[in-house]
Amino acid sequence: MSSKESCRNELRSAIRQLSNRCLYSAAQWAAEQLVGIEQDPAKYTPTNTRFQRGSSSIRRRFRTNDITSTPVAGVSYVSTPVMEEDEVEDSDFYLLAKSYFDCREYRRAAHVLRDQTGRRSVFLRCYALYLAGEKRKEEEMIELEGPLGKSNAVNRELISLERELSTSWKNGTVDPFGLYLYGIVLKDKGNENLAHTVLVESVNSYPWNWNAWSELKSLCTSIDILNSLNLNNHWMKDYFLASAYQELRMHNESLTKYEYLQGTFSFSNYIQAQIAKAQYSLREFEQVEVIFEELLRNDPYRVDDMDMYSNVLYAKECFSALSYLAHRVFMTDKYRPESCCIIGNYYSLKGQHEKSVVYFRRALKLDKNYLSAWTLMGHEYVEMKNTPAAIDAYRRAVDINPRDYRAWYGLGQAYEMMHMPLYALHYFRKSVFLQPNDSRLWIAMAQCYETEQLHMLEEAIKCYRRAANCNDSEAIALNQLAKLHHALGRDEEAAFYYKKDLERMEAEEREGPNMVEALIFLATHCRAHGRFEEAEVYCTRLLDYTGPVSFTYLKNL
Amino acid sequence: MAGILKPPGAFAVTPHKVSVCILIQMYAPPAMMSVPFPFSSVAQHNRFGLYLFALTKSCEDILEPKLDELINQLREIGDVLYQWLTDQLISRLSSLSSPDDLFNLFSDLRAILGGTDLSAVDDEQVVLDPNSNLGMMSIGIICMKGKLQVLPKISYCAQLQRFNVSTSVEIIATHDCGSVLLSDLHRRGVCHLLTNIGIYCKEALSSCPAYELPCLDDSSNELEALSEYENMDLENIVFEKVNKEIEARKKASEEVSFHLHAPKALFGLVEDIKVSAVSKSQGGDKCREASPSAHAPNDAMREFDSISGAFLRTNWQMQGYLMEQADAIEKHGSSFSLNSFELILRQLQKLAPELHRVHFLRYLNSLYHDDYFAALENLHRYFDYSAGTEGFDFAQPSIGCNSFGRYEIALLCLGMMHFHFGHPKQALDVLTEAVCLSQQHSNDTCLAYTLAAISNLLSEIGISTTTGILGSSYSPITSIGTMLSVQQQLFVLLKESFRRAESLKLKRLVAANHLAMAKFDLTHVQRPLLSFGPKTAMRLRTCPTNVCKELRLASHLISDFVSESSTMTTDGAFSTSWLKNLQKPMGSLVLTQENVSGKDSNAFQFCAQPSSIPGSVLQLVGSSYLLRATAWEAYGSAPLTRVNTLIYATCFSDGSSLSDAALAHVKLIQHLAVFKGYKEAFSALKIAEEKFLSVAKSRILLLKLQLLHERSLHRGHLKLAQKVCDELGVMASSVTGVDMDLKTEASLRHARTLLAANQFSEAAAVAHSLFCMCYKFNLQVENASVLLLLAEIHKKSGNAVLGIPYALASLSFCQLLNLDLLKASATLTLAELWLSFGPNHAKMASNLIQQALPLILGHGGLELRARAFIAEAKCLLSDPSFSVSQNPEAVLDPLRQASEELQVLEDHELAAEAFYLIAIVFDKLGRLAEREEAAALFKEYVLALENENRQDEVDPLLSTP
Repeated sequence: MSSKESCRNELRSAIRQLSNRCLYSAAQWAAEQLVGIEQDPAKYTPTNTRFQRGSSSIRRRFRTNDITSTPVAGVSYVSTPVMEEDEVEDSDFYLLAKSYFDCREYRRAAHVLRDQTGRRSVFLRCYALYLAGEKRKEEEMIELEGPLGKSNAVNRELISLERELSTSWKNGTVDPFGLYLYGIVLKDKGNENLAHTVLVESVNSYPWNWNAWSELKSLCTSIDILNSLNLNNHWMKDYFLASAYQELRMHNESLTKYEYLQGTFSFSNYIQAQIAKAQYSLREFEQVEVIFEELLRNDPYRVDDMDMYSNVLYAKECFSALSYLAHRVFMTDKYRPESCCIIGNYYSLKGQHEKSVVYFRRALKLDKNYLSAWTLMGHEYVEMKNTPAAIDAYRRAVDINPRDYRAWYGLGQAYEMMHMPLYALHYFRKSVFLQPNDSRLWIAMAQCYETEQLHMLEEAIKCYRRAANCNDSEAIALNQLAKLHHALGRDEEAAFYYKKDLERMEAEEREGPNMVEALIFLATHCRAHGRFEEAEVYCTRLLDYTGPVSFTYLKNL
Repeated sequence: MAGILKPPGAFAVTPHKVSVCILIQMYAPPAMMSVPFPFSSVAQHNRFGLYLFALTKSCEDILEPKLDELINQLREIGDVLYQWLTDQLISRLSSLSSPDDLFNLFSDLRAILGGTDLSAVDDEQVVLDPNSNLGMMSIGIICMKGKLQVLPKISYCAQLQRFNVSTSVEIIATHDCGSVLLSDLHRRGVCHLLTNIGIYCKEALSSCPAYELPCLDDSSNELEALSEYENMDLENIVFEKVNKEIEARKKASEEVSFHLHAPKALFGLVEDIKVSAVSKSQGGDKCREASPSAHAPNDAMREFDSISGAFLRTNWQMQGYLMEQADAIEKHGSSFSLNSFELILRQLQKLAPELHRVHFLRYLNSLYHDDYFAALENLHRYFDYSAGTEGFDFAQPSIGCNSFGRYEIALLCLGMMHFHFGHPKQALDVLTEAVCLSQQHSNDTCLAYTLAAISNLLSEIGISTTTGILGSSYSPITSIGTMLSVQQQLFVLLKESFRRAESLKLKRLVAANHLAMAKFDLTHVQRPLLSFGPKTAMRLRTCPTNVCKELRLASHLISDFVSESSTMTTDGAFSTSWLKNLQKPMGSLVLTQENVSGKDSNAFQFCAQPSSIPGSVLQLVGSSYLLRATAWEAYGSAPLTRVNTLIYATCFSDGSSLSDAALAHVKLIQHLAVFKGYKEAFSALKIAEEKFLSVAKSRILLLKLQLLHERSLHRGHLKLAQKVCDELGVMASSVTGVDMDLKTEASLRHARTLLAANQFSEAAAVAHSLFCMCYKFNLQVENASVLLLLAEIHKKSGNAVLGIPYALASLSFCQLLNLDLLKASATLTLAELWLSFGPNHAKMASNLIQQALPLILGHGGLELRARAFIAEAKCLLSDPSFSVSQNPEAVLDPLRQASEELQVLEDHELAAEAFYLIAIVFDKLGRLAEREEAAALFKEYVLALENENRQDEVDPLLSTP
């Protein structure tokens, strides 16, 4: 890892360059990372460092080992020279155009720059045109939306932009920003292969443009594509890889990458949020909650990624925290899809499903491809017993992202609710295929097989076995396995699973009817096989539980 | 202006409609004579009028015919007028060079209307019943004009019904509109129209270079000048469109829903779209090259163009189009080009993401191309989105659509899909679930269909027992499921489904059930269902009258539909079928060809009313004829089989599904082979193979193998026979699901090959195991023929004593199932067996032969007849009381006939035997020259038989025709 100071310098100049080109979100991202670098305590006032220290203490609780000290061996970073601005003096036209741009008058900005030849001006003109086209496209989508759905409104600047950018690309006169723009234009036009090449070229020559990386990430739909990219070794590549891994559901890999990056950018909110996301996917809700609490303390008006926090709170049924969060985002910016989603979750937890659907709808109005809102809306409809609507919502989620196992699972559940277990199995199979390590999915599938209609017990057993193997947190699988084996008359297997279940319950210090059931079975089983001592042990343990059962058993012995 | 008039972008005045206007002008020129100039008779004039009416009707169609197609249609109306009409049409079209010309055209039209309307209305109201052809036609024209001026907001059906009351009102309305239209026709729209007309003419005329195009340059110049204006106008158009849409939505709540796929109209102008359209058309061309026989690409391309062109489509039209395509997929099977249609569907889906039926079409498309995963995926997607009811605007909440959606239909479709892909067990599972769900939702219609599907499945696919499949579920079947055999279950199911269908008045299903019942009656002996209580007299036979009754009942379906023609017009597909029916001659194709020689210009009759019988009904009725043919085949009447198949092939072939059509061909060719010998059969097979090139390949291939096998057995070419047999065995392997018929056929042929090779014990073993299988799966008809085969084996191995019981058993089976022809052949075998016991039993044998002979002579094929003749001659020869010298013709005549027939059949072995017998007879008679001749022929055949066995290096499947 190159030194913190050099990172800092690179980022500082990058922020200036990016905001000169009106790539604000990239500049914002870079600035976040810049502040995220651990400050040299010698240079700064104590108040500053204290703030940072205090916050990191919580995080350290969950750190197992300090990765900062062990940099990955054998990785040498190329140092990309910081790009020099070609126009040192800002031309008057540029200044005017930028001010127009800042006021969102894109066409005016482009018009002012029509005769400018400097690279920065050319980029700004093209970018302004692109945004103007996008704006028009969005408007048309709303104007023309028909009852049969959306029209294919297109950005009508794409053709001329593509023409211009491709000629300058061939001439070699295009700068990395122009390449980035060319990349998105190509991607919008569906020419993904060329978009890959162009974007890779862009990030290799100017790695600090996070927008370009994220476009590239969205093009990497499989690990093969990711591996085939020819990228220079820059620390930005680690950011890219981490988020690409996350996209490809390789959560552990992505987690290691982020933790490694935290060595340098130890206070980056972005990294923290991403770690939270990965942990969320790994279903480590406790950790996610802690991370988000810290994030909110540092950045109380943050809305990004907070929908995930609300999901966690929902899952843990932290009613007050969710209420607090919902009210806060409502005050901050209520017309963001994330905010709507959070409020939807809030109402759902309150049991007001109709209201919650309204908010999810609003979130979808704001962003039609907001995946989790579709899924969550599906859940709401399921709660409201409106299964066809639920199915519709889930199906839309699945069509947006066919790898969304939650929506597949939802579809399966909805069909199971309608007593169509066989039909539901198709969906469960899909979701299990995407998330083979989730015991809940296997259990759902097993229950499907177990229904009276199907009664395919062998298949159910197979599913439960898979569920038991992937760390079934609710401990349903073992008990069910034992029961099914018992029902099929395979007492040895049943005894084996009851024993396992018993051990598990002991380890987790749980008690309940399952315990009694297991003990009774084991006692009878051992007695039937003449292992009286063992049987006696079980019977004695049965004595702990109320009821006359144990006595009779013990007497029989 | 804006109040009355639609914005120009929404006009659907297309070149095609302009040419229809010109034709209307020709039909009714301003000078009002009773019969205007070119027409020679009232009849001719009327026919043209009818054609115009159909044309206006088909304006609802999603596709607009191109000019050359229009000209072709004109040609079909009458060859006398054709030249004049097309000349006029083209010259007038190409003389439209400026907006003024258009203006003149329309004002002329108005003159036709305006000049005569008041008087004409009076006339019409006095004279014409609106249902008569002329009345209909004038309505058509009026509609047409209304259409030219504003987009029709009312469906034509409604207009027609209302006509009686409001003719004059409408005419006045159109009159007004017309004047507004003409003065306000948007300049831009006009220019567009002009260029479109130019292109329209050019496309057609590129093929006939005689016509010049004087006007194209003009209009294109003008267009260029206007292109800037276009862009500026955009916002305005968009705004108006939005307005229109709101309007349309209001309308939708009143009547037929109308949807505007508006934005396309807009972007048709953008260069980008044009580019993509061109690139895609190239793709389409490639498809066409790849599969020369494919039907779709041509149409598809046009369709694609018109979709990307600036036309608005109603939801209704889209649904109609999709339904039509669904039929087409079924009809053409895998020759329907997968990719080009997929392309269109994808495009459609992009344009109208909420039109969910597209997913269903995609499912069908992949189903018929055997793409399991795509089919499964699309099926699920369709039902997820639409809950079994289309979209949010096509659902008719009043009709059986409850709040649960209609997921039972999803299950039904899924079951059928598994069935199609040959997964009977999965199909049964899914269908059982469908039964449960339809019971739960009390969807009786679906239940009836599901039961029918299950019974279909049970009858088609060999399942020895359903316990464990049906038995494990909750269904009405369960209670009896465990005690009954599959056949009995099937019977119960059929009855149940039939009863339900009848009470729900599902005519098609009733008919289908009749057919299924007939099929069942044909092949199964009915036993009393319950084994307790005093039994009714057990009638252990099949009952041909039942079969006949069921078949007749099935055919009644068509009369039901004819009588209620008006109620069936709810389909969007209806409007598209107008022109198609026009082009169809009334009689069959065969008949019209004969008529052509008479040069009767009236031979080409139009039916002005489209046939209201839906394709599915035609299909059902058609299959009833096929089933009749099958039934007669089983009962042993070859001529009736042939007649029924021919009826099917001539009357129902255009509505039939591909597999049915192939089946009809197969039957006809088999008939040829049995009665006319292999040469003719193979030449017919060649034609059939061309016709069904890739499609239904298995069936035609199967036939080819069967014919090859038969022929090589007859010729004595055993190695080839064995190879063909192996091929058959491969086809019967269970990769694509088990087809019991194929399986039995394969092993039956295997046994016969072994028999021909004189490997008796092996042959007997194969036949035995086959018998066991047939017994297990309750294939009683097959049992009869297997038993007969066993008898043959024993006969040939010289073990006549063992053969007789088998022959008798076969006989009794035949009697039980009324298989007359098989029975005759069993009788013959029995006679041959008796004969082999020696001269003492010749009398017995002779009696048996005499019994069977009438049927054999009437219905038997070449081989059977020849065998009968030979056996008859043998009987006489071995009869000690018969003396050859006294009555030589009694022996010679049958033998001669037998030898002739065997020569046609190329059966070397039997032919040799016949000639041997002839030679012996001549020897006894002392006619030496003739004896030598017969002996020479005998030698020839014996040698041929041996030769066949020697030449075995040739690859059989390649070298044979």
